[in-house]
Parts: sequence; C-alpha cells; structure tokens
Amino acid sequence: MAEMEVKSSGGKKGPGVKKGKKLSTRVDLTPMVDLGFLLITFFIFTTTVTQATAMKLNMPKDTKDKNQENKVKESGSLTLMLGKGNVIYYYYGSDPTKMQTTGYKDVRKIILDKKKNTPADDLFIIIKPDKDATYKNAVDVLDEMTINDINRYAMVDPTPDEYGLIQKTEQAGGVK
Amino acid sequence: MARAKIKRGSTHVDMTAMCDVAFLLLTFFILAANFKPTEAVEITTPTSVSNTHAPMKDAFTVSVDKDNRIFLNMTDEIKGDVFDELVQEKNMKVTPEDKKYFMATGFIGVPFNQLLQFIRIPSDQLKNIKLPGIPADSTNNELSEWIRAAKTAGMGKKLNFLIKADDNTKYPAFGKVIDAFKKNDEYKYNLITSAEDVPPGTPLYEDNLKAQHK
Repeated sequence: MAEMEVKSSGGKKGPGVKKGKKLSTRVDLTPMVDLGFLLITFFIFTTTVTQATAMKLNMPKDTKDKNQENKVKESGSLTLMLGKGNVIYYYYGSDPTKMQTTGYKDVRKIILDKKKNTPADDLFIIIKPDKDATYKNAVDVLDEMTINDINRYAMVDPTPDEYGLIQKTEQAGGVK
Repeated sequence: MARAKIKRGSTHVDMTAMCDVAFLLLTFFILAANFKPTEAVEITTPTSVSNTHAPMKDAFTVSVDKDNRIFLNMTDEIKGDVFDELVQEKNMKVTPEDKKYFMATGFIGVPFNQLLQFIRIPSDQLKNIKLPGIPADSTNNELSEWIRAAKTAGMGKKLNFLIKADDNTKYPAFGKVIDAFKKNDEYKYNLITSAEDVPPGTPLYEDNLKAQHK
C-alpha cells in the first residue's frame, strides 16, 4: 500500500560496500484513529442535542366589544389559575371562591375528569397565569391541553378578585 | 531432536483503512453540524410534547432570560432590511459601517439610544457586560417598534415569530412580549421548547398510536 519499493540500481555492489538496511515506512496509525473517533463522538453529541422544537401558540385578538367576546357555558368551564411555587388553583363554573388546590402532576386527572363529564361542545378551559407563575408553568399547562386533546382553551389574566383570593390562600398556606 | 519452529505471525493490524473511515465520518459530521449562533444569554427552555421543528427561515426570535430581560435575534435574510427600516423610521444618522457592524452582531439587547455603541462591542466581550435588554413597557415599548419594523421590512415574506423564554421567566415578562406582538396584529407564535415524550395512556398518546398503525 503505502510502501515504496526501493530498488538498488546497481545490482551487486562491491565487496567492501555495506548493504543499507531497509527501514520500514509503515507508520502506526492507532493514535490517529483514536483521535478521529474521539472527534466524531464530540461532533455527534453537539449536533443532535441542539435540535429545538417549537410549540404553536395562537392568541385571540383583544376586543373591547362585549358582543364579540366568546360566550362560555358555565357548566362546561374549568378555570386553572397558576400560582406561585408550582401550584394550580382550579374551580368549575364561575365562582372563584370555590377554588381548590392542586399541582402539575395531578392536573391531568382533573382535566380528563372534566372532559369525560362534559359534552365536547361545552368544554372550555380558561388558563390564568398570575404574576408569580413562571413561563414553564404556562408552557406545561398549554402542553397539557395538547396531551389531553382539548380543543377549546384560552389564556387570560386573572381578575383582581381572583388574584386577591390566590394571595390570601398563599398567605394562609405559607407559600413563599 | 530439534523442535519444529512455529512461525510467529505479526500482531500488527493495518490501521490505514480504519483511519480512512474515521476521518471520512469526521468530515461528514463537521460539515453537517450547524453551529449554534451566538446566544444572548443562557436560556433553558421548558419541555413540551410538540414534535415540530422550530422554523429557521425568516425567523424573528424574541428571547426572555431568567432575569426577565428581552433580547432579539433575526436571521440574516431579514436583518439588513429591518435595520434600514428602523433607521428610516427613527431618523437615525448611520454610516454604511454601522450597518456592517449591525449585520455582524448575533443579537440585540439594548435600547435604541445605545444601539450604535452596542454593535461595536466585540462578541467575545459581551459576556462580561450586563446588558439592559430591550424595553417593552407600556410607556416605552421599543420591542413593539422592532416588530413593526420587521413587519414592514418583511412585507411579502412569511415571517416566523419565535419566542424563546427560560423556565424561570416570570409570566408577566412573557405577557409583555405577547402584548407587543398583539399591538402589531400578530397572533401566531412559535414557542421554542425542547422535546419531551408523550406520557403513555393519555388521549394524545393513543392518537399517535392509532396514526402509526394506519
């Protein structure tokens, strides 16, 4: 392969001339292979991990006109308020004082229960992240909508009353 | 009696072929790698079950870090036009050199009045400077002006509006970004997330299973 045959030109040399020892031209390639594979490993790891995915979010147009607002049936609505410290406050219908507390692990069950007991056309989930909720909380809940195949949901700010209620609960529960 | 000599075979293996393969693969991976553009700050995105890839063409990315600062990224196709549009709108005095610097910056993270100094900072020094971020308050909403400039400049193209926020970004900061987009009548966004598996037993999981068997 890589060796070259060096032919001594003169055929037989004189009696006093020493024969030059032929040195092998082979190079040990093992370290080079090692290095090659090390770099390959490095590039594989850096390329595949950075693939970002995107989640589609469509927001409704703000409207001042009351008649254009979507009407939500009280029997079909579930409001999820996202509070401080990864806590969700939820209530059915339109009475915030009846709110209950849950976490992100159990919210799926609540949504699925509601979905089972409500006609599909009436079901509407209202997501209200408050001032202390994180972006992760909002994405998690939106993701939950995709996971549970909920088609009608909206993300709005909580009303001052609701925010007051959340704060009261948080103070009572000692959430910091 | 003389013992029969066993000829010892050489244990050397020819590494040339293996070396060839290794470097061929290495070349492939280097060429296939798309290097990450300079990130404004480190942002850990939340996970979602969404499996669509983030659009990378004509992308206008708003990033929000964990300190609720807002940064802006644009792809090169629209960047120059946006700058021209903005200069015209704000009546800024710029030189062609300014534009060259602007094209070279990876992201924007300062208000308009500091923009021309900001783009002259070499990118390796940006890490050491505490950047103020782009203001998006109701009194001084510069983010909204950037979006308007991008919309005017990208007329006829389909701009992709991406929002990239950190796990620990407070929701109001994200809300401000949404409000700035809404002001410009943009209601469709892509939230950048990392992939996550669909939990088994959920409606989406079963839908996916059905789709696979079809």
